[in-house]
Amino acid sequence: MSYLVIEGLHKKYGQSTVLTNIDMKIEKGEFITLLGPSGCGKSTILRIVAGLTDASAGQVVIEGKDMMGIHPKDRQVGMVFQSYALFPNMTVKENVAFGLRVQKINTAEVDQRVQEMLALVHLSEKANVYPKELSGGQQQRVALARALIVRPKVLLLDEPLSALDAQIRKKLQADLRVIQQKLGITMMLVTHDQEEAMAVSDRIFVMNNGMIAQCGTPTAIYTSPESEFIANFIGHYNVFTRPALENMIGETLPKECSKFAIRPEAIHLDQRPGDVCFTGKAKQSLMSGNVIRTTFEGECFFTMEQLHQRGYSFELGKKYTCYVAREDVIALS
Amino acid sequence: MIVLISKRQTVAWLSPFLVLVLLFFLVPLLYMLITSFQNSDGFTLAHYQSVLTNDYILQGFKNSITLSVISAVIALIVTLFAVYAIMRFSEPVREKILILTNLTSNFSGIPLAFAFIVLLGNSGLFTLLFDQWGIDALSSFSLYSWGGLLLIYIYFQLPLSLMLLYPIYDGIQQQWKEAAALLGASTWQFWVRIGVPVMLPGIVGTFSVLFANAMGAYASAYALTNSSYNLVAIRIGSLIQGDIFAQPELASAIAVILAVTMVTAMLLSEWSISKTRRKL
Amino acid sequence: MEYFKNKEEVIVKKRGFADLFFLLLVVYLVLPVAATMLYAFATNWNKTILPEGLTFKWLATLFQDAEFIQAFGRSVLLSSGAVIIALLVIVPAIFVIVLYFPKYEKWIQIAVVMVYSFPGIILAVGLIRVYSQFDVPMILVVLGAYVIGILPYIYQGTRNSLRNVDARQLLDAAQLLGASKLQAFSKILLPTVYPGLFAGALLSFSVLFGEFVLINLVVGSRFETVQIYLMKKLSTSGHIASAVVFIYIVLMGLLTFVIAKLMKRSKGATNL
Repeated sequence: MSYLVIEGLHKKYGQSTVLTNIDMKIEKGEFITLLGPSGCGKSTILRIVAGLTDASAGQVVIEGKDMMGIHPKDRQVGMVFQSYALFPNMTVKENVAFGLRVQKINTAEVDQRVQEMLALVHLSEKANVYPKELSGGQQQRVALARALIVRPKVLLLDEPLSALDAQIRKKLQADLRVIQQKLGITMMLVTHDQEEAMAVSDRIFVMNNGMIAQCGTPTAIYTSPESEFIANFIGHYNVFTRPALENMIGETLPKECSKFAIRPEAIHLDQRPGDVCFTGKAKQSLMSGNVIRTTFEGECFFTMEQLHQRGYSFELGKKYTCYVAREDVIALS
Repeated sequence: MIVLISKRQTVAWLSPFLVLVLLFFLVPLLYMLITSFQNSDGFTLAHYQSVLTNDYILQGFKNSITLSVISAVIALIVTLFAVYAIMRFSEPVREKILILTNLTSNFSGIPLAFAFIVLLGNSGLFTLLFDQWGIDALSSFSLYSWGGLLLIYIYFQLPLSLMLLYPIYDGIQQQWKEAAALLGASTWQFWVRIGVPVMLPGIVGTFSVLFANAMGAYASAYALTNSSYNLVAIRIGSLIQGDIFAQPELASAIAVILAVTMVTAMLLSEWSISKTRRKL
Repeated sequence: MEYFKNKEEVIVKKRGFADLFFLLLVVYLVLPVAATMLYAFATNWNKTILPEGLTFKWLATLFQDAEFIQAFGRSVLLSSGAVIIALLVIVPAIFVIVLYFPKYEKWIQIAVVMVYSFPGIILAVGLIRVYSQFDVPMILVVLGAYVIGILPYIYQGTRNSLRNVDARQLLDAAQLLGASKLQAFSKILLPTVYPGLFAGALLSFSVLFGEFVLINLVVGSRFETVQIYLMKKLSTSGHIASAVVFIYIVLMGLLTFVIAKLMKRSKGATNL
């Protein structure tokens, strides 16, 4: 039996359906991410698991126990909010200690556990400071400490890093993963940032319009998108319709699908046996981090990505012949 | 800033305002303050002495302060619960309630006193009702007693309290409640440990405004029985009304003491607010 | 909160508790207003629970009373006069300080607090002491005091609107696009601020219309406003008094309604 089971979850707000038939099985100690564009319903799933919202149908089972009718405060589920939600009238120490104080644990033990937790999130020296004096990243770490200290069965994180600067975000992503592995806590993160999802997760559930579009490890999702939506959402896939692609490569495609995807880094200029081949005129070259992204115009528009070091510098306006390994032409259902 | 304003323009726009403040606010108050320490011989504390040894006036102060504190506290408690209830209604309903509040906040002074006479006066609606029902304890209630005046004071404190508490409640974020619940706290624990402490500066501030509001009230008590209520405001009024302006310095002294009382109350609340607000 | 649905009745009881207070509050507030309005239309209401009959005669008598019409006119004149002066004098000053000398804004805020701390009764003493020595018509003194007295409402009306827009940036942007200072002010800033300001003006008007202390103590029946008229009628004719209060309530109701509509518009205008 999986640790956290979500079965047949449905949610309607009045006439509009927000979630349709959500099924998820999560093992203990897994770090899973709900990834999807805004409004796809991922935060709603989180809130239902936490008990802050009721589902219209379906059930949530944690460690074998059905959560129907159980108050949030009795679920042993923790949550970290996008806006941190730190209690303004309490210091960092008091915020973190809150969950333990509520359980009436004796002061000595509370102090000790708070100290340990603050050390874990690297905020020991800020123990007596008030939230409003902390930076965004620091506040989020306090929120994390506060949620973890009560040893929840599942920790939910609702876009916790969206409000932070890119630098801080990357650091916290790493910290989050380290802490999760160290404590072995089952975590469910919600985000719209695919890079974040790729960086921290054991498995990703990609969502669209209230339904789960695909579920798998980061690698699996990246290399084998199952639908056009996934291909458009993850990475910078080139997506082609069957006729357009057949036209471009001059071959008929053996599968019965209507759309195909090719990863931009799968396109190269050296011919290898079995590759498909097409031409294009280089139109524009942009730098994005450490890759160069070049757009070509041929029978269709397509994008090629190269790492800087490779140093193919493309002459704009010149025609190039490009090759793609046959198995890198991914059929989308 | 692209265009700075010239000094001449600044003076032009600001001086009428400053002149008015000076003429109709600062000068009268300062003059009143200074002359309260003067008599024909020069500097004296005689007026203050006579005020502070006058039992009748002191009783007036006691009455005013008691009435103000009690009406403020009752209004505060009732509205604390009422706003909690209001917050759970939908937005359009809340708007209508706020409109009602605004409307009734204008209903004070003489019109209000009159309305209460209609309800609780000697042949008032409720007086007759209680009489008919045989509830002597209530039908013998006199509007013209301190209890009656208290009812009126509570009435005009309520809308003000509502309007001041509403934004304070609004400041309690839903996510704090959710976070607290997930950490194992019951609703009661949330309010005791987080909700009320966060609202406390606002509540104290509201109390001091309500207190000042009642201390300075004049028209309602005056309308009810002209001058027979012994309140500070009434005392001052009777000393300067009419052509018999017998003891202007005494009125000044009482007014100054009243002002000191109110400013002290304001300062006390500001001090306690700033103590708690630092961390919020 | 939805999750309470599945849980303890304690929560439901607490909800009922708060709702009870709320209901009591509404009843307490509405009852005097309703009773007075009813009294204005009652033929006779001395010994019975409900009025003996309904009539328009009290209102009719009131409207035919020249004294009342004049008193009403005086109230309107005084209140609107003070508001207009305040708009002409205080609003520009607030703009200048907020836009060009923001450091000094706290002085305005201090002034606002002081106006609250020194209510009419205290001010009346000072005003009489100072100005009774000169040959100044006391009604002008009251007018001046009224202008200062509504400072909190005018300030709030102006400030709230300005707060929601970055006024300096708007003015800068307009001037960069070629507008003169005056054009920028009148075409951009003023329309945004206008609803909130107008609401503040109406609120001030209604507050002044109900003012009694200053007018009674400093001027008295030499300038009989509606409030003073009402005070007189209180002891002579209850029904006439209630008719006056009825008109007062209707007027206040109208003003409140308009203010509410304006506040909505102002929120919309400044919701960026």
